[in-house]
Amino acid sequence: MAMRMWASSAANALRISCASNTAFALPKCFSTVIDGLKYAPSHEWVKHEGSVATIGITDHAQDHLGELVFVELPESGTAVSKGNSFGAVESVKATSDVNSPISGEVVEVNSKLSDAPGLINTSPYEEGWMIKIKPSNPAELDALMASKEYTKFCEEEDAAH
Amino acid sequence: MRLQRNLEVWKMGMVNYLDALKLQEKLVIDRKLGKIPDTLLSLQHPPTYTLGKRKTYHNLLVPEADLRSMGAELHYTERGGDITYHGPHQAILYPILSLRDIRLGARKYVENLEMVMIELASLYGVGACAGRTGETGVWVEDRKIGAIGVRISSGITSHGLAFNIDPDMNYFKHIVPCGIADKEVTSLKRETEKTLPSDEVIHEQLVSCFAKSFGFGNILLKNITLEKGELAKGLP
Repeated sequence: MAMRMWASSAANALRISCASNTAFALPKCFSTVIDGLKYAPSHEWVKHEGSVATIGITDHAQDHLGELVFVELPESGTAVSKGNSFGAVESVKATSDVNSPISGEVVEVNSKLSDAPGLINTSPYEEGWMIKIKPSNPAELDALMASKEYTKFCEEEDAAH
Repeated sequence: MRLQRNLEVWKMGMVNYLDALKLQEKLVIDRKLGKIPDTLLSLQHPPTYTLGKRKTYHNLLVPEADLRSMGAELHYTERGGDITYHGPHQAILYPILSLRDIRLGARKYVENLEMVMIELASLYGVGACAGRTGETGVWVEDRKIGAIGVRISSGITSHGLAFNIDPDMNYFKHIVPCGIADKEVTSLKRETEKTLPSDEVIHEQLVSCFAKSFGFGNILLKNITLEKGELAKGLP
């Protein structure tokens, strides 16, 4: 029983890692990474445009979580800080904290997610965005990973022992 | 070369739900800081109903006051999953693991927890399987024998699984278990033809299935009893 399970885990790991060096969207057996965004090691992305930064979780993250059934988000005006939790998602009986890659104040929250948490699965970088913040320390973005680094990071994480 | 992974197993006997919750919160922080290895709590609870993060109170079928008069507690938690019952003769495992270290995402982790209970059931000739999408847990046909509810915080797991050895099934009548209305709850006692050994033996078998499923080669077993006030001042 254990051997069969290890074989299938290894197969899954290989399937994900051999595909995540592509940067364009393909059918869902590949993890997408978008160029131009910044990434945290806890699998959140940030899109910085002027005075606002949009934050969500990556394709790799939503794939590893499974179908989301619930999303908990903060209210506008809440302060978030780098590396700390701002909300949570629930999938397959598991709630997972979502951490903010940078510090700032929440200015907008994606209210569609309360009725349609699955948007994060189908469109993690677009319709599945979670919060928009006003960054308090834009220099924190420099410490995050760019797309190539993040792709490599995911490959290493998924590689079997 | 695969290195042996270390697991510390705490055999704790009967533990009050809130005490176990506070303990897990502390262990999650310690695990995150690398102060402790991957740790597994093996225990049972006195009669307790719990709700998950979504606070699905509508699946509680009796007033809260009635639960207290039955001698049961009700607690709200941050775990995933719906309402459930824990009580004597239900084996509980709370793994405090670093998912990054074992290279698993939430979905694979939960699948592994299902495999642990499926494996244990098979030791008693009971053919159990994982639920379909949206019905996470372990089933014998359409009767639920094991439940899962997990929390992942900064990559560290808490809460876990509950496997029905031979709990008092009447307690399940007061809830819509896991929010699934038209399915029964069952137990190992009801499903197997074999004579069951003591709960302690079954707990040990469950821990063994867990260690195999997650690839832990080095197990350190500890018998731990929580004394009053121990949590306040930190643990042994």
